[in-house]
Amino acid sequence: MAAVTIDSLLQNPTLLFRPKAKVLLKPPRSLDCSRNRKLPLSRGSCLCSFNPRRTIHVVRASSSETALIGNFDISSSDDILYKDIFPVKRIEKGKFFIRLDRSKDQHDWQFTVGCSLPGKWILHWGVSYLGDSGSEWDQPPKGMRPPGSIPIKDYAIETPLKKLSEGDIFHEVKIDFNPISEIAAIHFVLKDEETGAWYQHRGMDFKVPLVDYLEDDGNIVGAKRGFGVWSGALQQFSNVLLKSEASHADSQNNSIESKDSKNKNRCLEGFYEEQSIVKEVSVGNLVSVAVRKSPETGKVVVCLETDIPGDVVVHWGVCRDDAKIWKIPAAPYPPETTVFKNKALRTLLQPKATGNRSGALFTLDEEHFGFLFVLKLDDNTWLKFKENDFYVPLLGTSSVPGQYGQSDSTSEEISSKSYTDGIINEIRNLVSGLSSEKSLKTKKKEVQESILQEIEQLAAEAYSIFRSSITTVPDEVVSETETTKPAVKISSGTGTGFEILCQGFNWESHKSRRWYMELKEKASEISSLGFTVIWLPPPTESVSPEGYMPKDLYNLNSRYGTIDELKELVKSLHEVGMKVLGDVVLNHRCAHFKNQNGVWNIFGGRLNWDDRAVVADDPHFQGRGNKSSGDNFHAAPNIDHSQEFVRKDLKEWLGWLREEIGYDGWRLDFVRGFWGGYVKDYLEASGPYFAVGEYWDSLSYTYGEMDHNQDSHRQRIVDWINATNGTAGAFDVTTKGILHSALERCEYWRLSDQKGKPPGVVGWWPSRAVTFIENHDTGSTQGHWRFPGGKEMQGYAYILTHPGTPAVFYDHIFSHHRSEIASLISVRNRNGIHCRSLVKIVKAERDVYAAIIDEKVAMKIGPGYYEPPSGSQRWSLALEGRDYKVWETS
Amino acid sequence: MEVSVIRSSSQAKISKTELGCRDLRFCFGKSNDKNKIFSRKPNSVCFDSQISRFRKAGLRFTLKAVHSDPILESKSPATSKSLDRLRLFVGLPLDAVSDGNSVNHARAIGAGLKALKLLGVEGVELPVWWGVVENEMGKYDWSGYLAVAEMVQKAGLKLHVSLCFHASSQPRIPLPKWVTKIGESQSSIFFADRSGQHYQQCLSLAVDDLAVLDGKTPVQVYQGFCESFKSTFSPFIGSTITGISMGLGPDGELRYPSHHKPAKSGTITGVGEFQCYDTNMLNLLKQYAEANGNPLWGLGGPHDAPTYDQAPNLNSFFKDHGGSWESPYGDFFLSWYSSELVSHGNRLLSLASSIFGDTEVNVYGKVPLMHSWYKTRAHPSELTAGFYNTASRNGYEAVAEMFARNSCKIILPGMDLSDEHQPHDSLSSPESLLAQIRTTCNKHRVEVAGQNLASGAPGGLEQIKKNMLGENPIDLFTYQRMGAHFFSPEHFPSFTEFVRSLSQPELHPDDLPSDEAEATESVQTSSDPNIHLQTA
Repeated sequence: MAAVTIDSLLQNPTLLFRPKAKVLLKPPRSLDCSRNRKLPLSRGSCLCSFNPRRTIHVVRASSSETALIGNFDISSSDDILYKDIFPVKRIEKGKFFIRLDRSKDQHDWQFTVGCSLPGKWILHWGVSYLGDSGSEWDQPPKGMRPPGSIPIKDYAIETPLKKLSEGDIFHEVKIDFNPISEIAAIHFVLKDEETGAWYQHRGMDFKVPLVDYLEDDGNIVGAKRGFGVWSGALQQFSNVLLKSEASHADSQNNSIESKDSKNKNRCLEGFYEEQSIVKEVSVGNLVSVAVRKSPETGKVVVCLETDIPGDVVVHWGVCRDDAKIWKIPAAPYPPETTVFKNKALRTLLQPKATGNRSGALFTLDEEHFGFLFVLKLDDNTWLKFKENDFYVPLLGTSSVPGQYGQSDSTSEEISSKSYTDGIINEIRNLVSGLSSEKSLKTKKKEVQESILQEIEQLAAEAYSIFRSSITTVPDEVVSETETTKPAVKISSGTGTGFEILCQGFNWESHKSRRWYMELKEKASEISSLGFTVIWLPPPTESVSPEGYMPKDLYNLNSRYGTIDELKELVKSLHEVGMKVLGDVVLNHRCAHFKNQNGVWNIFGGRLNWDDRAVVADDPHFQGRGNKSSGDNFHAAPNIDHSQEFVRKDLKEWLGWLREEIGYDGWRLDFVRGFWGGYVKDYLEASGPYFAVGEYWDSLSYTYGEMDHNQDSHRQRIVDWINATNGTAGAFDVTTKGILHSALERCEYWRLSDQKGKPPGVVGWWPSRAVTFIENHDTGSTQGHWRFPGGKEMQGYAYILTHPGTPAVFYDHIFSHHRSEIASLISVRNRNGIHCRSLVKIVKAERDVYAAIIDEKVAMKIGPGYYEPPSGSQRWSLALEGRDYKVWETS
Repeated sequence: MEVSVIRSSSQAKISKTELGCRDLRFCFGKSNDKNKIFSRKPNSVCFDSQISRFRKAGLRFTLKAVHSDPILESKSPATSKSLDRLRLFVGLPLDAVSDGNSVNHARAIGAGLKALKLLGVEGVELPVWWGVVENEMGKYDWSGYLAVAEMVQKAGLKLHVSLCFHASSQPRIPLPKWVTKIGESQSSIFFADRSGQHYQQCLSLAVDDLAVLDGKTPVQVYQGFCESFKSTFSPFIGSTITGISMGLGPDGELRYPSHHKPAKSGTITGVGEFQCYDTNMLNLLKQYAEANGNPLWGLGGPHDAPTYDQAPNLNSFFKDHGGSWESPYGDFFLSWYSSELVSHGNRLLSLASSIFGDTEVNVYGKVPLMHSWYKTRAHPSELTAGFYNTASRNGYEAVAEMFARNSCKIILPGMDLSDEHQPHDSLSSPESLLAQIRTTCNKHRVEVAGQNLASGAPGGLEQIKKNMLGENPIDLFTYQRMGAHFFSPEHFPSFTEFVRSLSQPELHPDDLPSDEAEATESVQTSSDPNIHLQTA
């Protein structure tokens, strides 16, 4: 397992930045060709990130100041206008294991948790008893508590993990228990007192059932949940424990294999499961940046210094405005500087005379707005500022001496803008940077945070029950909403028109092999957030685990679960009032057999088509059908929809899925590949409640910049919808693309087209536009076209207030965005905004976009100022977040 | 996949809060600058962002605490002395127990109680309905309520019980069936308006001492109810149960049912109608008129009053200038009408304090906030509700005096209402009325507890906070009310933030010393005077 290598890595701190490190600069990737295939990204085991330790805007540095950063090559610090110190963090990986076995005397059982990473590990745990409902913990009986346990309030125990002997790798804790006791499950989370980090399961505890059945929220999972299954249950943690970006260590595949064998062995006596774990540790290295103004030349000097050992190359440039576009400044450059692809400069940091530090001085003209850089340690290791460029504001430097106060406030403003990542992270990191000095305090904070989380969970539970038990709505409310809702007419292009879609999976969901069951647990939660439609992953047998390379269409046992589990899931989703979309891949299908030339184009299973079902224009697959009616997807034989028998079979299949599984509608994969008219045919035959197609191609760019006018792009999507005769909606890729540019580059003017309407499909055919900001391809662990980081909520504030049918990505729902998204959804529902709502754009300027929707909801995104007019309507602020605000009429 | 590494929060400086700590109480410092910090963003919308806000706040807090350290230190003894204890209660669903004495949505309430406890809320308010308990005259079934009381006790929360001798329409909880049956044949046990329409949600105060209920007077029936409650709940009284509200009329409030529809925030309500037209009320009026030497005035109520939904000036009674309310007749009628209400209140509260006086519970009565038309001279809404309070007369003197006499406390609803959010033309002023009642209560040394009218009023939480922390802080506030909306993502986070913002100031005096140590370490450059100026 890869984890072993990592152990050795950890014991050799000198190997810290070895070339295995993750490539942080992702090469640009075309959007079209790779969509259904997971790209083998090189993922490594070491990842560094920078966090701002603090930003101090010094006006006149005192002597102590100079002492602190005396390593700067600055004789007089009078002119320092900006200074930052970034601690370098290392991400350590190790493993932790959970074992259940019989203790020596064969009567009692023993539950063991161990962790290979150094640290002060604490098991924070409790139990639940038979007949308990909900997710509450109880304190375990006294006899179960290992020595050294400390009770936390009245429902948990904290037990430190200890090394059995000095030579051991693992810190571990053993808990003895009697299997005939009333204990139904052990719940735990692991935390590290050193860093204050908690290791949890999606914000929940790990649950280790000790009996064959568990009553959970009234859903009896029944006999399926014996000892044998829960190794599978544990499997899902692996995705969680690993930070998403760094998660693709080989260990995962291995553990999946090992799990397989376990699942077969249902009456397992005990079990042993290992998982990877990551931990961020401050390694003590720092990168310091200071900006000063040279009194002699009037130029600005940027001093960069670090104590990272070895050769460090600065990859740098300057920018002229807030958009932070890299430009090469005029010479002179420091020694050892080369020009890199006409885009940036590279400078090797020079060792300092004192100690093992290296640094460089950059002299720049004063008109530059900011200084951008990343550090390159070797060919594969880049150090960035939380996935972004480091950014040092320079503008404040141009002010004349004597106006210190003013210049300082300017630079503060700029620098605060420059931190594109959430303030949350910033402060988290700041505190974690300090945390080792005050572990005692940290502990209390942790308790507090866990309590806040627990409160949130309890509230969510109470909410879902109260909500479901509301039988009568007060009369007034009913009459109010009735008047606002237009007559509901259901059509497959729009549903009721009030639909809000949830994408119920991501690129990793197949890994647990029990996604259906996992999602089932979340059904009521998702529904309670206000979603009406959920899109499930492709259900068929597939060559790729994610399901987009279907083989036997009638075999619905996939990596997401079995056909029975799928039915169960669909039933649960229906019970909580959601409609379910099946993800159907109609464009292509993987063959079972080779033809006489050795080419894979003969199908098996119930639809045992031959090569006549394959389009003729892809030489790879030697199809004998007609030419494709759309674009080709080159990784598998594309199906020839012009064949009568193919269409008949597909219609029958869709009908079967409706009947057998209970799907209410479809998400149609890669509809660029065949004519929309066929889709119309399929939809008319299967009569879905709602259908949406994925028509994804590239936006228009000129010289690398996105064109303001994306009419041709949206025209292609609209053409497709038209071809389906409006029986299907389509994902509004145009809107996503324009949001990217608008948000990333602070060009909010892009959000209005020449006619003052929304520039995406939603501006032309709102009722058929399914707006979204991320999906399993664009985001998740593929990240082919990721929405600008930290700006997701602006994106949601846009799509969830605007017409169209908004779709929210699973990863965002189960993230810290969740409650903001929930609030946006409830604003949408409260005000009856629907797919045809009228939007009036009131502002589309450089730094702010504002619109009023149906005269009931006003919204703005962007850092600029906007308040709704105080006219006849009374606006009250419904919610606000980072760079967005939403108002409703009161 | 989701990242599950949870960093320790940055709430370094507020670690004393220990939200989960069992005996956390809310205390407030006066006008201390941290209040501001923690309430910078009202209406937070979500759990996470809220937490992040705390983080943010916590961070700022640090800097502040560091730099203003010497000042705070000198201030801190005074601050800790001035801390007042505030107890926050949350109302349980009105139908927590209903038909057949079963506990409704027990699981949700269970989870809710836990969440509230963790949040540091002191207790919950439980409405106990006459119509649920006394299904047969003199036979009481408390089982459902006992179960709830046990849940509350188990959760470590306090309980405030509201004894409800009225009916509720939403959710529907009627009066006891046997009472309704008597009412069918004998409608005069209910209030009636000028058109003879009866209000059947509670008994008329005129029958308090008449043996209309199978040979018993309503007061005797209420007494039996209260005594049975006392003996049944004796294990809880004084420990878990810390307060009891005596139901005094419609919606439990001391008033006439002058408005048939509950006032909705944001809409203009009419003046309401006098409710003196049932035979028993008319008898009382007649006697009073005869005793005052004006028998002709005792034949009915004012002939020139507008109807329920009308504005005051649609008829002459409430006119600002020259309205009949200012005439000798007006004074005669209003004096009688309001004194009957006060006497009714006195009957029930003296009953309650005689029963519960020997226990440790406080007895409360609820006085409504009839804030519509407060800016007119006549205050018509208050007059029809039974409060003879006008521009020239403080009608709450008699009320407060009556509460003081019975050592009872007043619950005032509507602490979430602000003038700003009232419709422009309603001439309403909840804030001024509240201030008037509170001043009057202070004068009579009657303690005031607060309540909100409805959760979700615009700016409600801010307004509540203003009322709670103002110059004249209140010691108990009951927030209405637990249910789907309460826990919904659009409401609960702001409530959480509200609660935490109330509790925050408590930390500061104790927290400072350790902050200092840390902060100097973390901001080593803080000796620089200029930094001080910028961050402080």
